[in-house]
Amino acid sequence: MYNQILFDSIFLFIFEANMKKKLTLILLLLSTQVLSQYRPQNGVSKSQPQSILIINAKIYKGGKAILESGSILIENDKVVSVGRTIKASEHTLVFDMEGRTILPSFIELNSSVGIAPQILKKGKKYTPQTNSLKQNSFYWNQAVHPELNASDVYNPDTKVLRKLNNLGIGYCLTRSDDGLIQGTAALVATHGNDLSKDILEAKAAAFYSFSKGSSMQSYPSSQMGSIALLRQSFYDLNYYSNSSPDFTDLSMEAWEQQSSLPRFFISKDKLEILRAVKIAKEFDSEFIYVGSGNEYEALEALSESNVKVVLPINFPKAYDVSDPYISRLIPLSDLKHWELAPFNFKKLLDRGIRVSITTAGLKDAKHLWSSIRTLLSTGVSKFDVLQALTSEPASILGKKDQIGMLKSGMLASFTVYDLDPFENEKAKINEIWIHGAQQHLNTFNGIELAGAYDINIDGFRRKVTLSGNTNKPLCKAYELDKEFKPIDSTKCKCDFQINGNDINVKLIDKRNSSAYILKGKISGNGSIIEGDATLPDGSWKKWSALKVAEKDVDKPKISSDTVYVGKCWFPNMAFGSDSLSKASKFLFRNATVWTNEADGILEATDVLVENGKIIKIGKIEKNKIADVQIIDATGKHLTSGIIDEHSHIAISKGVNEGGQAISAEVSIGDVVNSEDINIYRQLSGGVTCAQLLHGSANPIGGQSALVKLKWGASPEEMLINGAPGFIKFALGENVKQSNWGAFNTVRFPQTRMGVEQVFYDGFHRARIYKDEWSAFEKKTNTKKVKAPRFDLELETLAEILDSKRFITCHSYVQSEINMLMHVADSMGFKVNTFTHILEGYKVADKMKAHGVGGSTFSDWWAYKYEVNDAIPYNAALMSSQGVTVAINSDDAEMGRRLNQEAAKSVKYGGLSQEEAWKLVTLNPAKLLHLDDEMGSIKVGKDADLVLWTDNPLSILAKVQKTMIEGHLYYDADQNDVLADRNRMERARIIQKMALDNTSGNPMRQYQHSKERFFHCDSHGEEGETKTNLH
Amino acid sequence: MKYFILLTLLFFSNSGFSQKVLYKDVILHVGNGMRIDNALVGCDNDRFIMVKNALTSSYKAKNWDTIISLEGKHMYPAFVASNTTLGLTEIDAVRATRDFDDVGEFNPHVRTQIAFNTESRVSETVRTNGVLLTQATPRGGRVSGTSSVMRLFAWNWEDATVLKDDGIHLNWPNSIQGGGWWAEPKPKERNKNYSKEIVKLEQFFQLAFAYDVNTSKFDQRLQAMKGCFTGLKRLYIHANELQQIHDIIDFVNVFKFPFPVIVGGYDAHLVGKKLKDSKIPVMLDRIHGLPQIEDEATDLPYRIPAILNQQGIQFCLQGSGDMEAMNSRNLPFLAGTAMAYGLDEEAAVASISLAPCEIIGIAKDYGSVEKGKKASFFVSEGNALDMMTNKVTLICLDGVLQSTSNFQLELYERYKAKYEKQ
Repeated sequence: MYNQILFDSIFLFIFEANMKKKLTLILLLLSTQVLSQYRPQNGVSKSQPQSILIINAKIYKGGKAILESGSILIENDKVVSVGRTIKASEHTLVFDMEGRTILPSFIELNSSVGIAPQILKKGKKYTPQTNSLKQNSFYWNQAVHPELNASDVYNPDTKVLRKLNNLGIGYCLTRSDDGLIQGTAALVATHGNDLSKDILEAKAAAFYSFSKGSSMQSYPSSQMGSIALLRQSFYDLNYYSNSSPDFTDLSMEAWEQQSSLPRFFISKDKLEILRAVKIAKEFDSEFIYVGSGNEYEALEALSESNVKVVLPINFPKAYDVSDPYISRLIPLSDLKHWELAPFNFKKLLDRGIRVSITTAGLKDAKHLWSSIRTLLSTGVSKFDVLQALTSEPASILGKKDQIGMLKSGMLASFTVYDLDPFENEKAKINEIWIHGAQQHLNTFNGIELAGAYDINIDGFRRKVTLSGNTNKPLCKAYELDKEFKPIDSTKCKCDFQINGNDINVKLIDKRNSSAYILKGKISGNGSIIEGDATLPDGSWKKWSALKVAEKDVDKPKISSDTVYVGKCWFPNMAFGSDSLSKASKFLFRNATVWTNEADGILEATDVLVENGKIIKIGKIEKNKIADVQIIDATGKHLTSGIIDEHSHIAISKGVNEGGQAISAEVSIGDVVNSEDINIYRQLSGGVTCAQLLHGSANPIGGQSALVKLKWGASPEEMLINGAPGFIKFALGENVKQSNWGAFNTVRFPQTRMGVEQVFYDGFHRARIYKDEWSAFEKKTNTKKVKAPRFDLELETLAEILDSKRFITCHSYVQSEINMLMHVADSMGFKVNTFTHILEGYKVADKMKAHGVGGSTFSDWWAYKYEVNDAIPYNAALMSSQGVTVAINSDDAEMGRRLNQEAAKSVKYGGLSQEEAWKLVTLNPAKLLHLDDEMGSIKVGKDADLVLWTDNPLSILAKVQKTMIEGHLYYDADQNDVLADRNRMERARIIQKMALDNTSGNPMRQYQHSKERFFHCDSHGEEGETKTNLH
Repeated sequence: MKYFILLTLLFFSNSGFSQKVLYKDVILHVGNGMRIDNALVGCDNDRFIMVKNALTSSYKAKNWDTIISLEGKHMYPAFVASNTTLGLTEIDAVRATRDFDDVGEFNPHVRTQIAFNTESRVSETVRTNGVLLTQATPRGGRVSGTSSVMRLFAWNWEDATVLKDDGIHLNWPNSIQGGGWWAEPKPKERNKNYSKEIVKLEQFFQLAFAYDVNTSKFDQRLQAMKGCFTGLKRLYIHANELQQIHDIIDFVNVFKFPFPVIVGGYDAHLVGKKLKDSKIPVMLDRIHGLPQIEDEATDLPYRIPAILNQQGIQFCLQGSGDMEAMNSRNLPFLAGTAMAYGLDEEAAVASISLAPCEIIGIAKDYGSVEKGKKASFFVSEGNALDMMTNKVTLICLDGVLQSTSNFQLELYERYKAKYEKQ
């Protein structure tokens, strides 16, 4: 029982409170401190108690220290000391907090409290907005606004602050969650009475993200565009600071001032963290990552990067699994994440990664503490959790001397609970103290009212049960039989209000619609309520209620089997592997080997693989090789892996950066998605390597990623080491936006004429850019000169001019093919590959002369006007003229049947089987400049091998095994095992969810709330709004 | 080569008089699941009059005007592209060429027959792979319209028509929605309006059922629907999902349609016996497709035909989907993949010949090389279900020999000749 006792005289009372403890209630002397008035005040000056002592509380000091019964002495806004017993001066205001628990205030790092959403000027509704609509001299892109300071616009709603207080939050790092470079965040206390005291640090951190937010500008429209824009902005900052150009950019000026601030990065997936890490490394900087909750799936890469992460703990709810037709659609990855998400914190912590906790997404204290209890059940200590909510965020913010712990000299900010919330589910927060000022959160007296009561109103007797939330209890009244046993709850209605120690009750007798209105006071620790009642006839009577049962009204929980928890797979989804793959020594015995070399097709041949390479071909004595896995390939065909020259699988959030006509600065390599099921599906079709291309939305698209389909590896590991740089160009209908609807008639070019000029313009600018830089580099030795702007777009184009980057150009009709070769010849570069190239057969001789290869479809046509003259004989005709020809997919489905597509060239145009097979293996390797390592079965080349049940060009051919660099990534036999394992894992988790569903826990319907990273007009990330027109 | 000259003669003597032609030394894929390794196939005018095994039968040369040895090549019945917009569209991206989807939710009265383009350049490239008949099928809305079965060689839609107005096409409401696109797939979600949409379509069918041609106020839509109830028209119900298929079985039981067909049927194998017992056949969606659920076996779509066959569910293969008109020429290879994944070769042939004809209701005349049927077949150098060996050297539709060339081959030869001169 706790009472705050205030005295207004100067006498000191000491009395014995109980047998063991000596309680000192100290009377307070209100000091009259005269402050010079910084702000004029209305009325007389007011005073605050200067010295406060809290006694007898259980105190979590921070770290691992707990005082089971301790005291805190506070002077003004600071803690003077924390200890077992503290002597107080006679002028100290004393609070006896016997039985209560005190925690340091939580610090929320991911908040937008008090910040109204930005309202930006918008252009015409459907017309693309190419330029920034900001009037002043700010950065050219509206998603980049480091000049926004949260402290300038901070204007919190007290109700919202109280909600935060209820979560135990004393401080928020708040900012406008909008844009790529969001501006600065303010560190604020959540008191709300005096903002001048609340703002602890006006510019406490800077925030970044990959989401362009409210900007309606077309660029960027994809995540790779966001990455490029972020990088360009950093380069521009360097340029602005170091080269002092002759213009003013207010964004850059503001940003320059933020160099010493901690930088936070908002991520929506663990892969986004890895992407941001790359940016941080490039600029020798560091981010603190606000995570998404699935970081445990990239534990290896994250711990290598030595990151600090702020983790959410709003764990996913179980799906409603009552309809098996619906639940069969839930991807196993979602199910597994539901089970493993609570372990995220622990797994990162165990790896030595520095973690904080954000309460974002948790709607109330109940939700917060149930999440914390879930965390504790994973085996982390309460101190780890507490630190992650207090001292760790404080330390990230460089404020560990001020906040996050209860220690001498630090700000007196803490929360008071009726019970220890780490130990007791029923614990509730009573008050929060911020900077030494007390804030009551719960006027309720702390008494647990839940239970059953017998009410007697002058002989009228009913039974009432109270349950649920203490402040707003659910109340049910029962009629009684002659033995006063409850019989019926339908005839009575009950309404209950509580206000401090006072309660108001309305009891309605439904049969005669009469109301008994009661007012009473609680006493006896909640066991007795007594007071006055007005009866239906208007008379006043005494009434009383006696507690007869301390019923726990919560439904008994069915505990599901939480002992067993599945493992994280690589990737953590269907067909993921249990462990990271290891290379082995393999011997394929007695295979029909399609060498793609002068040897042609060898019958009954052995192939030995070691250290990821092919080391021997021919007859191999197995006895001489130790520890080799032998694969009997009798009757089977062994080929090198299929290489897909044109693929769009395994890409996150946008294959097109169509916001500008030239987007050479963006790179698919930045957004490789290692968790696309199509990786595994294509392995099952014998594909080992692919060029992941930018789309064809603009004349100069983005840089490619050359990857091997290493299922289970990280995006970085998928990228081929030392692979040459490639870039996508495009011509024709797509870049003219011909099929994009009537609104997309703004961006230049809209005709094939304009396309030519975009190229000339780009390459002329790149030449000038190159010259500027080489002039600068010559001069640096002699005198100090200013560096030109580093331009990612022109850098890339300059690489093309220097033959350091190769072009794969989307093309259809002969006129445009011819045009680009002319542009290239006159600007001094070469086109490496024309892709699609459906009219290549008309200009094959010219292509041969230019030295460009062709990567085409086997037989696609009729999908748009420019493919009218496409013929399936294209590959054969181009080949006949000496052009290096490949057949590609451009399609996740067809990608796994490329062997069939190659076979069509035997039908259409009569290529030999060996030549046809090279269309999907050796030839694309040549086009990608990878033929020294891949494309044939030759000693010394990468062991990227596929074992087929039949002639690979036959319709009967099925893949038995797919190997990349000596790792088996697909095995038809193992595939069945994995399918069984998937089924069992799914069944197990669905069982667990079904139990969870029935135990009264919240659940969600299976549905996908579409995340909208970019506005709906964009054709980048939200690509499904557009038909794929290849 | 010899037979080629003979064929050329035949080709140019096509018109007018009746001829009795005997084809011998041919591997015959009958279309009904049978195969005759050395067959004798005789035609009189537009009908097969003899189909026999040469090992057990003989023939009298004088009974035939022409006897052609096919030198061990393969003969197949005309393949049938069911459920396709072939002939109704030329260029997918050019709106002016798309004639398969009209405005409105209930359009049973809209008929594809009269929009069918017999000079389609797309059709030209389809028939040269052995696909000689097509079911020109409308798209869109709840009830898309009425399909007709058409020949791919014809002067106009009248003589192209094999079966006028063969069926009404109903798009069953989706029980789930969402799914993203191929480069960025997203999970699906429950369609909250599913029940409402079913009620709405049931109401329409009730109206149609109650409609009396003589006494009711004239309604073109409802009049067009009548055939579904009488058996004059099939009812093609387009659906893929488990929930839909169960609900369709109930729907069919209520209205007692004489000839219901499920088009799509991706999940049909999960319904199994219940579907078999309901006797609703399935026109299976393009099996060159990705699994519809992330967790499904990578090769599940390829295996579905074999599973349905094993379950005894009547089915055929069709290729609707992305670029379906152009892709109709790959219909034989869908059957080929089904063969690679467990379907017997002749069953695979049947799945694109006799099976679709039986489901559509034209099996009396088409679908197999059997005595009495229309002489519609083609000859391929090798196995026509395999892209390496599908080389069509002879096409005969209703007894008339047709060209095995198309504009693409002509373009090829023109440019080849250009390079050869250089």
